[in-house]
Amino acid sequence: MYKAIFRYIFSILFIFTSVSFSFGQNDSLYVPKEEKEPLELKGIKFGLNVGRFSDYLFKPERISYEASFDFNLSHKYYGVIEAGYSEIDMEKDNYHYVSDGTFFKIGMDYNMLKKYPSDFFGVGVRLGRADFKHSAQNVLIEPDHWPSYTTSIDSKSYNTYWLEVSFGLKGELLKNVYFGWSAIVKIAVSGREDVDFQPYDIPGFGKGAKSINLGANYYIYYQIPFNRK
Amino acid sequence: MSFQRVPFITKMKIIKYILPLLIITAIIISCSDDQCNSETDSLLKCELIVTDTNLTAIKFIDSLSIYSPEWSDSIHYSEEGSDNCLLFTLSPESDTTEIVFTSKQAEFKDTIYIYYQREFVFLSPECGFVVNCKIDTVLNTYNYIDSLKIIKDEITTNVQGHIQIYF
Repeated sequence: MYKAIFRYIFSILFIFTSVSFSFGQNDSLYVPKEEKEPLELKGIKFGLNVGRFSDYLFKPERISYEASFDFNLSHKYYGVIEAGYSEIDMEKDNYHYVSDGTFFKIGMDYNMLKKYPSDFFGVGVRLGRADFKHSAQNVLIEPDHWPSYTTSIDSKSYNTYWLEVSFGLKGELLKNVYFGWSAIVKIAVSGREDVDFQPYDIPGFGKGAKSINLGANYYIYYQIPFNRK
Repeated sequence: MSFQRVPFITKMKIIKYILPLLIITAIIISCSDDQCNSETDSLLKCELIVTDTNLTAIKFIDSLSIYSPEWSDSIHYSEEGSDNCLLFTLSPESDTTEIVFTSKQAEFKDTIYIYYQREFVFLSPECGFVVNCKIDTVLNTYNYIDSLKIIKDEITTNVQGHIQIYF
């Protein structure tokens, strides 16, 4: 069912972005010059992932924050640094699971727009790393015939690496204020699995039980007024 | 190099893009199943092989029951057994499980002692934790039991352990 839903999301995103992109390209208001721009820092955006705040509604066991800096290099290439924090406190009838950790991502975005360099429509790649720990208390085991048994699982720490491929767009809503979203495929590289105590949620990566996670980010960015024409 | 600035994405377009995404995200999250649909018992299959003609004559297996001193009940072959097999879980609290074999048709009892290592495994957020085991050895008394063989020493929620007991 999830596969079908995600296929649906990607189809919708693809159609919207394709249509928008083709409309944009027909706009004749821009007359860019032909020469290649040198690779130099043309702007910095600071972003906050507002999608994470949906956890308050949909995943109350999780609190997470994520922020990013992107460095505009020639309007075509953007260096990106993203970092965040995630905390899980999940209390169920038969266990109390806690986890917390940080994540850090570094990568590049490639802008496919030629006529609208202050906006973005393109693809990106990231390398992500999460450092986190988790533990469980009040673990209740109730097998048939045996008396109930309660135990605890000691805290364990992990370093997880993954790769991300994303595509999305950013548009300037107000002066220096951008909104953007991206659809992401995350592929685990190492440190995800633990046969004894599989992490429930890896900060920045998502479900620990899956080697590939899909996701979407919703960002609000502030363009630091720097070197802007 | 200079550009005439025209926002690529208008506010209307943003609304058009954001709303479907938010709605779909909400649908995905609301579709999450919070029920445990996986097997949570790690079972040991105990296969009973009767070669003693005296025991066969008294229908030893049909009246066989097993229990552990820590249980408040028993497993009766006539109710829960089939194909000469009984299934049960090992103690989650200890590395040793003692199982007593008794039959209404037989005068004596036999006991097996299963020694194993335990692992607590986080199966899923919905199901919580389960206990997987790896059998080291099994010892037994010899009133009716002739011998015993470990066929599969690993016991998980996906894979049943397997021992054969020859009477």
